[in-house]
Amino acid sequence: MRAARAALGAVGLGLLAYGLVLAVGLGPQLVNVLVWFVGGVVAHDGVLAPVVIVLGVLAATRAPAWLRPALVGLLVVLGPLTLVAVPVLGRFGARPDNPTLLDRPYWAGYLAVAALAVLAAGALAVRRRRAGV
Amino acid sequence: MSERRLTGLAARVDALVPSPDDFRSDLRGPRTAARVGAWLGVAFGVCFLTGLYSHFLQHPVAGLPLPTGPSRLYQVTQGLHVASGTAAVPLILVKLWSVFPRLVERPPLDPRRLALHLLERGSVLLLVGAGVFQLVTGLANSAQWYPWSFGFISAHYAMAWVAIGSVVVHVAVKLPVVREAFGAPLETRPATPGAPSRRTLLRTTWLSAAVAVVATTSVGVPGLRRVAVLAVRSGEGPQGVPVNRSAVGAQVVDVIDDPGWRLRVTGPDGMVELSLEDLRAMPQREAVLPIACVEGWSADGTWGGVSVLDVVARVGGTAQDDVVVRSLQARGGYRESTLPAAWVGEPDSLLALTLGGEPLHPDHGYPCRLIAPARPGVLQTKWLGEVEVVRA
Repeated sequence: MRAARAALGAVGLGLLAYGLVLAVGLGPQLVNVLVWFVGGVVAHDGVLAPVVIVLGVLAATRAPAWLRPALVGLLVVLGPLTLVAVPVLGRFGARPDNPTLLDRPYWAGYLAVAALAVLAAGALAVRRRRAGV
Repeated sequence: MSERRLTGLAARVDALVPSPDDFRSDLRGPRTAARVGAWLGVAFGVCFLTGLYSHFLQHPVAGLPLPTGPSRLYQVTQGLHVASGTAAVPLILVKLWSVFPRLVERPPLDPRRLALHLLERGSVLLLVGAGVFQLVTGLANSAQWYPWSFGFISAHYAMAWVAIGSVVVHVAVKLPVVREAFGAPLETRPATPGAPSRRTLLRTTWLSAAVAVVATTSVGVPGLRRVAVLAVRSGEGPQGVPVNRSAVGAQVVDVIDDPGWRLRVTGPDGMVELSLEDLRAMPQREAVLPIACVEGWSADGTWGGVSVLDVVARVGGTAQDDVVVRSLQARGGYRESTLPAAWVGEPDSLLALTLGGEPLHPDHGYPCRLIAPARPGVLQTKWLGEVEVVRA
């Protein structure tokens, strides 16, 4: 186990070092890469995670027990889906010369999925309430 | 600042920042982190390997043979690349949530333990930074959104190695914790009344990953096209095939309509210029080949035209030679591509003149484009002006 861990660690450090060499090779572009690298960590640890923690505290203290699992489910499914949907909902990459790109009614699709999720969560909550949780 | 004031300040900061014990949910911890982390590791592994394959197709390495078929190979690997990256979004978020209290852990004061602690935190910083970077840039790129000033390809490639390297280091560091966590049974009943059980949380996480994948990337799977409500393409387009770069965007609208268009073919035996009629008079071949884009979408087309090998044979080219094709585009990173010898020998590697039996739509590369099996769409160069045999 010790040897396997050491070998795995050495392989990982090798891959990591190669990546850092490639990153340094990006030259002046590296500055902007670092901005996005650090920005991602700050956006998660400084904004997204605290918001989720506050939501968790609110759910644990304010929401009735029968509703809580439904709220957790909604957050876990719709939260990431919303982040994934940002590039298409905003259609930031759309170009007038290419109508085949970003050519779906994204808001309608997103809202349909969200509505389905709310319905499923609602059904779960009602079932738990009837069961007297 | 006096020592007393410094201690006072430290105490005040300590009181302000929550400590790991302040996080109450018992759904966190190794038993959740190890299980979500294992799948996250699988997702990153698949993403890395499929991405590496795509990279080698676009930047061939001498002495590394790549398969020229089946024709759907790249469609599948690149679909997996985007799907595993998309699945990783919910996985990484739940994973980070499950270990978040460790972020505010107070560092040990003993110098040796402090050094180890900082090393471990540093490796996690690289892991989170590179992981989030890859997912954000990859998702934005698949929607052709570039809100940054660096070049996407080289940065995404460099960070891929940083990400996979720090994943492997992290697994090595955490292996004992992971083994112990998998050894402990998974609670099916909530520890806190009213909260979901750990099993419910995990199942919800898998569901979230599945919903994200189906909603974005299932557009290429028969029967699922309509539920891919967040797909970057509906799959529609001129002649039934979507377009990545239009004739207008490539600024070739005027040059491709020139009746004096000739395909200039050069090789060891000299040069010939072929008109559209010359090409149509050669033996025609039809092949059903997908356009499979790096962005994860793909669409089938029935392409008709002349085998690359037949054309280059006119100037002494053989299946042992690489062939470079050049577009009429004046600029653009993909105005030229190299068809390696292994593909030149494939009869289905075509200089296509038709799609679905009709002359190519301007956006599909009229008058003539390259189409070959198991290659990224960006290498299927359109609006060809030149074909050159390159003998190694």
